[in-house]
Amino acid sequence: MTHYLASVRAVENAVGVQIPDNARIIRNMLHGAQFQHDHIVHFYHLHALDWVDVVSALKADPKKTATLASNVSEAPWGGVPYFKDVQNRIKTFVQSGQLGPFNNAYWGHPAYKLPPEANLMAVSHYLEALRLQAKAARMHAIFGAKNPHLQSFVVGGVTCAKDLTPDRIAEFLFLWKETQDFVKKVYLPDVLAVASFYKEWGGIGGTTNFLAWGDLPESDNEPESLFMPRGVIMKRNLAGVKMASPDEVTEHVAHSWYKGDAARHPYKGETQPQPGEYDTTGRYTWFKAPRYEGEPCEVGPLARVLVAYAWGKKEIKEIVDDVVSKLGIPLTALFSTLGRTAARCIETVAIGNAMEKWTMELIGNLKKGNTKTYESWEMPKSAMGCGLNDVARGSLGHWVEIENKKIKNYQLVVPSTWNLGPRCKNGKLGPVEESLIGTPVADPKRPLEVLRTVHSFDPCIACGVHVIDPDSNQVYKIKVI
Amino acid sequence: MAKKIMIDPITRIEGHLRIEVEISGGKVINAWSSGQMFRGIELILRGRDPRDAPLITQRV
Repeated sequence: MTHYLASVRAVENAVGVQIPDNARIIRNMLHGAQFQHDHIVHFYHLHALDWVDVVSALKADPKKTATLASNVSEAPWGGVPYFKDVQNRIKTFVQSGQLGPFNNAYWGHPAYKLPPEANLMAVSHYLEALRLQAKAARMHAIFGAKNPHLQSFVVGGVTCAKDLTPDRIAEFLFLWKETQDFVKKVYLPDVLAVASFYKEWGGIGGTTNFLAWGDLPESDNEPESLFMPRGVIMKRNLAGVKMASPDEVTEHVAHSWYKGDAARHPYKGETQPQPGEYDTTGRYTWFKAPRYEGEPCEVGPLARVLVAYAWGKKEIKEIVDDVVSKLGIPLTALFSTLGRTAARCIETVAIGNAMEKWTMELIGNLKKGNTKTYESWEMPKSAMGCGLNDVARGSLGHWVEIENKKIKNYQLVVPSTWNLGPRCKNGKLGPVEESLIGTPVADPKRPLEVLRTVHSFDPCIACGVHVIDPDSNQVYKIKVI
Repeated sequence: MAKKIMIDPITRIEGHLRIEVEISGGKVINAWSSGQMFRGIELILRGRDPRDAPLITQRV
């Protein structure tokens, strides 16, 4: 849905149409649901097993686990029989030799620090989150027709006018509440519980500069009304936060498989592929290297939360202060892998809370008889437009140039390119590259620590690891989830 | 003795991601991130009606 939103906004910007309030609110509600869904799935299903040893959970005492669980979270499930049952289910997996979703990982790695009871609790929440995320996705179906790939956004507004009934809105609120209860009563407590065993990761995996286009506009007034604000922070200087402008973006290709080595603004962007060898001293990737004022910038939850915090955004600041104080870590520990994972949860709480307010605003409009969801417009002969967004994974921009009512040029600068892009023309490392430097690796054949930081940026993973020893040229192939 | 580790592929959402790190003294001393698939969406969009862009780019 995120590129859908970005693209609709880019074309709307080009053709010069201002969407009605209700369309803006419905897009925010669906975008909020996307944040809830994506971040829950990322934490439990794509990232938690970097910190949680599933096999160790077999050694847990279900009684102690039940006590631990009731101390750390208000999860609606628990108790000794429940944890015994979960443990038996894991046992069945292990004994059958088929670990299913837990197959192929570094179980028993010395970098796992949780006691068996915490591991069992986390695995049970992994399983509960699988059920929950399926429900959360249904929010999209109500006003977006389906998930994935919604189809109710059009240039000028939304098309779900017939779904703006009390029944459909109540259905949305019901799903929202169940999801947000999980976020506040399970996800946040779990992040705090797991993080308390990994505080050293508050000093590992950090980057230097942070960019957020911001998103979730609460009026037509942008960027001022963005619930997640726009801004850029250079050299970790929160006090120096400043407004970000798309004019400062360039994309470098000197180390990427594209023709030439000029750094261009997306409006002047070229996509001329030039396949080549993988050469880390030369060109080594299909990603371009986006830069802001010539600097690499991390985008995503941590960037958004830091920018919001630096601007003094109340709804974010109070949760950040609470998390930092409960963990007993300094604010500077947020510049890290731990901070990135915590920030993802922090913004889920804040955005999830705001969704209720937006839904009430929509109901208020409908009650007043304001049912407008679309503004008409005409395709200009030529135009240029840009849609700036901040989606689950980070800052996303679409740039479109229209000529003779057709697309002449289109460029996307996506979160993964910002975070995972290569060195630029000036040799500056991309954010993920930079974040990995200094990471401890206890066992090069099982680089769990590297995966922790890479995963914390939220790429989805199903990978084979090839470990090459340059002395012996021996290749180890280790499958990891 | 520096060792190089290549983790490939890492992602299945934004194409195939390769991460290569150089390790010395138990720590990463250098890193390279490599996107292993070309995203041709920009080229697909040229010449099309701008209203097609949202539906096509959503499939990135």
